[in-house]
Amino acid sequence: MPKAFLIDTTRCTACRGCQVGCKEWKNFPAVPTKQRGTHQNPPDLTHYNFKLVRFSERMDAAGKVTWNFFPDQCRHCLEAPCKSGASLEDSIIIDKDTGAVIYTEKTVKEDFETIRSSCPYDIPRKDPKTKRIVKCDMCIDRVKANLLPMCVKSCAMGAMNFGDRAEMLKLAAQRLVAVQKEFPKAQLCDMENVSVIYLITDAPANYHKFAVADASDSTQGAPGMDRQQLLAGMFEPLRRAAKQIQG
Amino acid sequence: MTSPAPASTTASTPASPALRAIEATLTRANAELPALAPLLAAFGPLFAARARLRETAPGWTGPLPAFDAERFCQGVFVLAQMEHGQGFQDMSASLPQAAQHLLPVMAASFPALADELHSLLGAVESGELAPQALAAAAFGQAVAVPGVSAETLAFALSELVRPFVERQAQDLNALTKDVSWRQSMCPVCGGAPGMSVLRRIKDEAEFIQSHGGRRFLRCSCCATEWTMKRVSCPACGCEEPDELVVLHDPTRPFERADACRRCNSFVLCLDTGDMVDVPDVDVAALTLLPLELQAKAQGFAPLAKHPWSEL
Repeated sequence: MPKAFLIDTTRCTACRGCQVGCKEWKNFPAVPTKQRGTHQNPPDLTHYNFKLVRFSERMDAAGKVTWNFFPDQCRHCLEAPCKSGASLEDSIIIDKDTGAVIYTEKTVKEDFETIRSSCPYDIPRKDPKTKRIVKCDMCIDRVKANLLPMCVKSCAMGAMNFGDRAEMLKLAAQRLVAVQKEFPKAQLCDMENVSVIYLITDAPANYHKFAVADASDSTQGAPGMDRQQLLAGMFEPLRRAAKQIQG
Repeated sequence: MTSPAPASTTASTPASPALRAIEATLTRANAELPALAPLLAAFGPLFAARARLRETAPGWTGPLPAFDAERFCQGVFVLAQMEHGQGFQDMSASLPQAAQHLLPVMAASFPALADELHSLLGAVESGELAPQALAAAAFGQAVAVPGVSAETLAFALSELVRPFVERQAQDLNALTKDVSWRQSMCPVCGGAPGMSVLRRIKDEAEFIQSHGGRRFLRCSCCATEWTMKRVSCPACGCEEPDELVVLHDPTRPFERADACRRCNSFVLCLDTGDMVDVPDVDVAALTLLPLELQAKAQGFAPLAKHPWSEL
């Protein structure tokens, strides 16, 4: 049965337990970094950071400051554009039981920029040592053993939820109704298309420029890929194949 | 012995969540513990048949019995509060039909008992064994059925009444909601726990949430679950870390036997805190058989036995 996450950002305190738990489970080493005046550390996803809590601070015209937290990770899209962008059939696979989008060792043969640019959420990274393209794998080793993904297990505040997709959609709908009483603009991000559903209370671009696939409605004119660009990316493999045929 | 039939295959209606959980837990257990396949094949269909009976059982009929919360807090369980100690309501009217459903399943699952179980079913269908006598025998009254040993009769009838007992207990347990119960016996029927489960409770409070899950003891008689202090022996109340022993297999960290050196008792435990899908507890108890045997080999005694405990 397909699985899904519900990430309820209204409960997230940005403790980064999920971020650390992910690194610990994957046995990733520390990444050299430096103080940049923000708690968001490292600055971006890396080949050793499949999960990153993004911090976004802003002040509106009335002088009210909001501080948004966004535990960023692969969305495990139902129709994964990265898979459509891959040149090999089995470099990127989708686990039928869970819906997890898995990058295999054959990603070394893929063009990294093509795969990365095909992702509307800017998730894939390249491991410079192994040359593999890497990202969150939904802790498929744990989930296959009936264990929660490490980020969900690590979440102390109940922000991270994981289970059958139908169950998560139901929970998401319940939480949305509850949260909208205080935050009328609350929304569930791209819930029809992804397995990682975020509940947010502010405009997506106020969390992260790639919070949703189409951030063109953001107040800051975020540079996120819009739907037209996303679909264009999905047809890129066909274009490449056509080019190869034409020589 | 063949692998177990899917739990829902004999049901004409879509499988309920309970049946789906039984089926999923059996499938996983068969894949992970092939050595237990014969046991799973024998008891799996029985669990499924019991679940189907439980779903159609009448439950507690009429008004619930009088309930004194103060006496309950002092350790007087629900059925013990009834004036004449009647216990569970008479379920004899439902038993002949239930026997027609359950006994053939048991006969197929336990070929060595098939002849006796068919004799028992014949006695029920012919009226030789009246429904009232059937119920009385299930609750311990000595009844002789030609061609059926006392052990087989006790096993078959305890399984036959269990779905009705469990269904009535579900209704009775509503009385105990939000009332403190600190005993190691069942708050509904006073039975001993045969199993315990650590469950992660979804908490809507905006505080840091427990990761370990709460400990629930599960009644061996009516399957009622109630909370109990985690680090304590349910039999003697011992809380000394040096006296409490946890037996477990490192390859299956979510299964354990919680034993006590002070009173030499143990209770099996399933930790579901990290699990995506919570298994069916009856099937899970079956998969804990290796730990049960290990605990017994070390001199510990179970608080309550399972039907397979003496195998």
